[in-house]
Amino acid sequence: MAVIAVPKPSKKSMNPDREVNCLLRAQVEHLQHAERRLPLRYRSEIYTHAIRTEGEAAQYIREVTEAIHKAHADTAKERVKRARAEKGGTKPKAKRKKSARGK
Amino acid sequence: MSVGLDSLKHIVVLMMENRSFDHMLGSLKAVDPRIDGITDEMFNLDDTGAQIKPQLLAEFQGQLDPDPDHHFPAVDLQIFNGDKSAARVPTMKGFVKSYYNQRRDTAHSQKIMYCFKQSDLPVLTTLALEFAVFNRWFASIPGPTICNRAFAHYGTSFGRVDMNPFDIIEPFKSIYTRLISATPKRTAKVYYYDTTSSTMEVVNLLQNQPELFGTYKQFLEDCDNGLLPDYSFVEPNYNDHETDEGEELASDQHPDHDVQAGEFLIAEVYMHIKRNPTLWQSTALLVLYDEHGGIFDHVNPPNCVADQFTAPANSTGTGMEFKFDRLGVRVPAVLVSPWVPKNTVVQGRVFDHASIPATVTRFFQLGDVPRSPREQGADVFIEPNVAPFDPNRNLLSLDVMRTDCPEFGV
Repeated sequence: MAVIAVPKPSKKSMNPDREVNCLLRAQVEHLQHAERRLPLRYRSEIYTHAIRTEGEAAQYIREVTEAIHKAHADTAKERVKRARAEKGGTKPKAKRKKSARGK
Repeated sequence: MSVGLDSLKHIVVLMMENRSFDHMLGSLKAVDPRIDGITDEMFNLDDTGAQIKPQLLAEFQGQLDPDPDHHFPAVDLQIFNGDKSAARVPTMKGFVKSYYNQRRDTAHSQKIMYCFKQSDLPVLTTLALEFAVFNRWFASIPGPTICNRAFAHYGTSFGRVDMNPFDIIEPFKSIYTRLISATPKRTAKVYYYDTTSSTMEVVNLLQNQPELFGTYKQFLEDCDNGLLPDYSFVEPNYNDHETDEGEELASDQHPDHDVQAGEFLIAEVYMHIKRNPTLWQSTALLVLYDEHGGIFDHVNPPNCVADQFTAPANSTGTGMEFKFDRLGVRVPAVLVSPWVPKNTVVQGRVFDHASIPATVTRFFQLGDVPRSPREQGADVFIEPNVAPFDPNRNLLSLDVMRTDCPEFGV
């Protein structure tokens, strides 16, 4: 059977400056909903209300998606560390938050 | 019971964006009259009262701008043409009117009736003619993406018809959770294009179970290396963006993204499965669209089993409550497998996205898991390979695998 050609799209099709569509706007909102639950150190510094283009949305989507993965990965690493330490008979030190007074 | 079903080990679903059946596959009625596509008798009235018929004038990009409204109130107008009476029935006559509302441009509003020529979509139309095309696959609700994709993941949208974040409601779990919690354990993955495109299922799946996710690049490698899970859900690229490897064009076919980029994606998914002989004989690929995107289709959406959730009147935008007892507009859906007879047209049966978790749950025998009334009432596109077995419903019905399946140059 002959191989069916699949025409490639025009290079002019690419337009990250395209106005963001409703689907991407909704995706940004969903990611923002998730970002609010992330600890501060994982949060982006992107002001989502200012997002107007597809490229701007793409940047935010990437940052928050990767942050969610990283937050889970970091927690999993800690879990493994604790499990190893307990197995080794040494109790790991509890993490303490520094108080406002630095004590 | 069936050689094809005996061989089946993997189900793959690729869900594209926002194009109706008539818009993408309507031209095929001229090729095969069994395919319920466009005819010259169909029309919508424009604002001058002129009859606007479907025409094969769709363009890959730049035509449907602004993005046709596909939120619940607009789709209600498209289906019922403004009739809000208790006894109303679908007429599918409100598409031009709805699109006119967005720009108040008579000529532009008519473009909502445009469809693609067969030659414009060599990949989708070839797959539709070579494998099984569904005459009656509908969006799960007459509304937008997030809710419709929810039906594919959970069998319900938990009473939502909008695009806002929602939390899942127990006891209904995603098809992925059901698979990985089953005994014996099954495997599942959601392959998003990359982290810049990400997934549309953020609040529940990505946030809580990021380990479920892989990238499209990994999907292709998993195909090549025979590492596909039992069930895969593939998401296209939802936005144009730059990467270290170069430009990535959106491939979801959501207006106003280039439709040809989506054709390339569909071909690539198909060919990576096909090029691995072991995978090819043991995989069924479902290519479909989440909803019609506000674009014309002529088939009246049927009523269906009501879900246990109701969208209250103040959430639908129509002033009427919605009991999830009516399906959305028809979308293209094609089932690909070398065990499917050439030129199969699935007629007389109704499917929607709840059919996806219904099919996967029953085929992989996940037991008596809680399922929404909509999912319980949904038809399955792959028969469970257990007694009682109805061979008339089995789409993977060939006793000998085909060797004449198409190849695409990707």
